[in-house]
Amino acid sequence: MTQNELMTLQHYMKEYGQQAEIFVGQLEMLENGRMEAHAAIETLEAMLSADDGITLLQIGGGASVRAKILEPDKILLSIGAEVVVERSNKDAVEFLKERIMEMEASQKKVTETLDRLRSQMNEINKRLESGYQRAAAAGQDQE
Amino acid sequence: MFGGLKEKLQAARIRLGSSIQGAAAIQAAGKEPIETAPDAAKKIISPAGPKFADKIKVLIIDRELIVSEKDISDSLSELEMTLLSSDVALPVCDAIIANVRTSLIGKHRKIGQSVDALVVGALKSALLEVLGNGFNLVEYIKTHGRPVKILFTGVNGTGKTTTVAKIGANLKKQGYTVEIGGGDTYRAGALEQIGVHAERIGIKLIQHQEGADPSAVLFDSVQYAVSHKIDVVLADTAGRFHTKSNLMNQLDKIRRVMKPDLVIYVDEAVAGNDAIIRAAEFDRTVGADAIVLTKADMDSSGGAAISIAYTIGKPLMFLGTGQKYEDIIPFEPAQVVEELLGSDS
Repeated sequence: MTQNELMTLQHYMKEYGQQAEIFVGQLEMLENGRMEAHAAIETLEAMLSADDGITLLQIGGGASVRAKILEPDKILLSIGAEVVVERSNKDAVEFLKERIMEMEASQKKVTETLDRLRSQMNEINKRLESGYQRAAAAGQDQE
Repeated sequence: MFGGLKEKLQAARIRLGSSIQGAAAIQAAGKEPIETAPDAAKKIISPAGPKFADKIKVLIIDRELIVSEKDISDSLSELEMTLLSSDVALPVCDAIIANVRTSLIGKHRKIGQSVDALVVGALKSALLEVLGNGFNLVEYIKTHGRPVKILFTGVNGTGKTTTVAKIGANLKKQGYTVEIGGGDTYRAGALEQIGVHAERIGIKLIQHQEGADPSAVLFDSVQYAVSHKIDVVLADTAGRFHTKSNLMNQLDKIRRVMKPDLVIYVDEAVAGNDAIIRAAEFDRTVGADAIVLTKADMDSSGGAAISIAYTIGKPLMFLGTGQKYEDIIPFEPAQVVEELLGSDS
């Protein structure tokens, strides 16, 4: 393997590494969205069952206030394209469950692509290793 | 590609069809009798009102059903929610609903005529209306003087450099001589990246050192293309956010120096509505003649692809659909609509 071929393989590794980083970022975003939706479902369901309608409202910086929810069955829901609609508690939960399913499908797709990339990276890595070993052996022979 | 949107549109298509069929069944059962010739004749003695011509037609043609607003209003609301939840921009959603409404309401459907064909026809024409005509790059190159200079802009990390390489490979395959201008002198490793691409696809790359003035690099690229009679110059640039005024000024300088024939805005389909907002900002500040959306294979909602042309008034040119050089497809609205609404339609 020539020096040039080794350098090209190194470039491939770098490029694939950068692409993999982007996909890992996307997976993280999807996972955060999924967890957030699960938390929202839990809160929505708990709101309906709470007798006094009192909840802790986080206001940032670790501070919370007790707040009374006036209309636990009227939920303002962002459905996409920056549009917010009013939905019943049950419908909002249904919507969020559908969103979770969509996010899980996307996660599966990104994971598959990431796995493909990683297997290509492993392949390149093996070729690089063997190239380095051959280069080292050739160097020892010359000595 | 756009699997989620396809599923939702299929569901909306079935709902709309069922609504119309439901209305037809009620009429057939005699709850709301269809106007037959003698009944209609009685009513048109006083022909005032917009339905007069329709009623005459009913008399002449056959027993027919006229779809009313009431028959499909619920299904249209559901379609609206479906589109919005797929991140289709509000103005685009409004345009699609208005188009479907106009296509269906007041439509004469003969008893026995396929409801599904009527609904699919309405949905297709509504989608085609907002998708525009696309942009045929090869046709553009054929009809313009050489070299055709194409400048690529966009925010960071959306796959601009890879898109440049993919388009270069695509044009080379079609017999054009292509050259890449390495105008991303800012991002560490960008020149190496484009260098590897250029070498792999066998395209000439003009580049300066890292940190060099991108305007100078791209000016040299154009000069090289002129002197070597190259057909197309693809000018890569560093990704930047539209909020960074110094970087946007730099892009403006590149424009003035390089005088591109086309400015292409590149963003990722998965960014949804954000991609549309950013494309509009770039168009306002440095202009854009066409759009390329990358990572369309990862995008289940399809919102950006459906909305971008109508919202910013610039055509969608290509969709990036994977990692390989051949994973880029020219955006053809009729084909996309066919894929979304099923080939069996």
